Amino acid sequence: MAQLVSTEVAEFMQSGVSVLVASRDRQLFPACCRAMGVRVERGRRSLTVFVPEATGAAVVDAIGASGRVAVCFARIEDHRSLQVKGSVAALARAADEERCFIERYRGEWARNLAVIGLPPRLSLRQNAWPCHAVRVRIEALFVQTPGPGAGAPLLPAGSERAT
Amino acid sequence: MTPRLADLRPCFQGVIPSFIATCSRDGEPNVTYVSQIEFLDEKHVALSCQFFNKTKRNVLENPFASVHFYDPVTFESWNLKLRYLRSEESGELFDRMAIRIQVIASHTGMAGVFKLIAVDHYEVLALEPVTGFLTPPDPLLDCAPTAQVAPGPMTEVRGLQAVSERIARARDLDDLMSGALLALAEHLGFAHSMVLLADDATGRLVTLASRGYGPGGIGAEVAPGDGIVGTVAQQRRMVRLSGVAAELRYGRAIRGAVERSSGAGGLAPEIPLPGLPDAQAQLALPLLAGERLVGVLAVESRDPLQFDEWDEAFLQIVGNQIALGIDRMQADDEEPVAPAAVASAAHARGAAASKVHRFAFYPSDDCLFVDGEYLVRNVPGRILWKLLERRVRGGQLEFTNRELRLDPSLGLPPIKDNLESRLILLRKRLQEKCPDVRLVPVPRGRFALEIDGRAELELKEGS
Repeated sequence: MAQLVSTEVAEFMQSGVSVLVASRDRQLFPACCRAMGVRVERGRRSLTVFVPEATGAAVVDAIGASGRVAVCFARIEDHRSLQVKGSVAALARAADEERCFIERYRGEWARNLAVIGLPPRLSLRQNAWPCHAVRVRIEALFVQTPGPGAGAPLLPAGSERAT
Repeated sequence: MTPRLADLRPCFQGVIPSFIATCSRDGEPNVTYVSQIEFLDEKHVALSCQFFNKTKRNVLENPFASVHFYDPVTFESWNLKLRYLRSEESGELFDRMAIRIQVIASHTGMAGVFKLIAVDHYEVLALEPVTGFLTPPDPLLDCAPTAQVAPGPMTEVRGLQAVSERIARARDLDDLMSGALLALAEHLGFAHSMVLLADDATGRLVTLASRGYGPGGIGAEVAPGDGIVGTVAQQRRMVRLSGVAAELRYGRAIRGAVERSSGAGGLAPEIPLPGLPDAQAQLALPLLAGERLVGVLAVESRDPLQFDEWDEAFLQIVGNQIALGIDRMQADDEEPVAPAAVASAAHARGAAASKVHRFAFYPSDDCLFVDGEYLVRNVPGRILWKLLERRVRGGQLEFTNRELRLDPSLGLPPIKDNLESRLILLRKRLQEKCPDVRLVPVPRGRFALEIDGRAELELKEGS
């Protein structure tokens, strides 16, 4: 069953943080790449990950083969990290009208990278278009912030035990 | 073309974090950041394992992993396909990585959180560039690169980018070396530093740039195996010494005594190597362009604890940048030099016009003196003597690198002749010992020998 994420977590996911996406093929060989942003869909039980066509071929092939997706979100300044596990709900080419969303993400991500000193002349060259749009049904959410709590499940929105 | 894994070592220091994807036995993928990759050989790497986490559980069940990592300077990306082999919880490699993790933790405010629990060995199944990760350079973005970087903490990425920027924009070799040392001081806190270049003709290292030591010291030579710099050159390995004030003082005292006893009467007294008299820590590393030793970068500090694993890691990346920059400049040496490096001081002639400078060349010792003081020797000495002869006796005002290269009497090696670095040395020695005589770049790749006053030449044959 799809898991509901809180508005706070949804905001975090869409705040220009680092987004990594992974899957695996039929032989259980993993593949991963950097994604160019995420949109949390209405209802907050699924999200769309934008995977650049230039770098995402292996991941998208693996998603097509296995249907399984992992997405890691990480914020540079405080290392806050989350991991979504889920199954693919739809796989398509990102539509032209989604391009400005993706470009905006690239700008925000570049601003975050500038904080550690990576100049925009490099970070803004990250290939962001065209993209695959990978719709993921959120099945589980884990805390991944480095430390003893890493790996603990983040319980569904509304639960008091969320960490 | 896919590079050798060994050439990508600067990417493994964790400046821009790498990430790893794994998969459990039941087919659930996982992706997370990895702190450290350690190059072992072309077929093996080790990854730091700080927590017994999902990644570790996965590779114990299903050994395959995919790792992405970045060049901290160019931001290019590579993918490693790996197979987990085994784990170790002690030993030399473990200790080395544990210290680095500890230092990284303290630098990033994660002390006590990051702690190495194991070093995981992997076999490299494939190494591929992530082609298309970056779009081609954009001249618009390149226009004001530094101004666009947001203010923020002084991170290593920032320092590396600053150094790389200086190197990329250097007009010439001199500008490259002094700019890199300035950026090292401003952005990474290395206040006392120097660059020595390898001279293939003599097999020695020659100091061509220094920072934080005041004037002087340019031209100081080091033989391979001699002191920390010579050892680094000979072994081609970084050396870090801490809390060695006593040994350093002892070494310098001996050198001082030798200089005093030989300096007055003997020819070609050594130019002392720049150095802090009270240095407590030293770090030197070879500048390598592929297999070729380009030179040595050395830094010093009065704080015995100034340099740690972190400095080693970053100096290695910076050193790599400097080495490649120098190598490129040396390869481009035939190209015309922009006439900006040294301003002509022709306007200052008035007072010096009547001055006479006496140059004496000792062919048997390959040594050039000016007004009774040692100036320079070996190839640079021969070059200056040749220029002076042509200027004073033949009236030639301007010279080209090409005519120097074609002159067999100068003894320049046929390839990698380091002519530009020899001219830098000459320029700087003249600046220090006889500023009335100058080598001044002029347009069209030529340079002029300017002399305020008069030069008298004496060939001390047979002495």
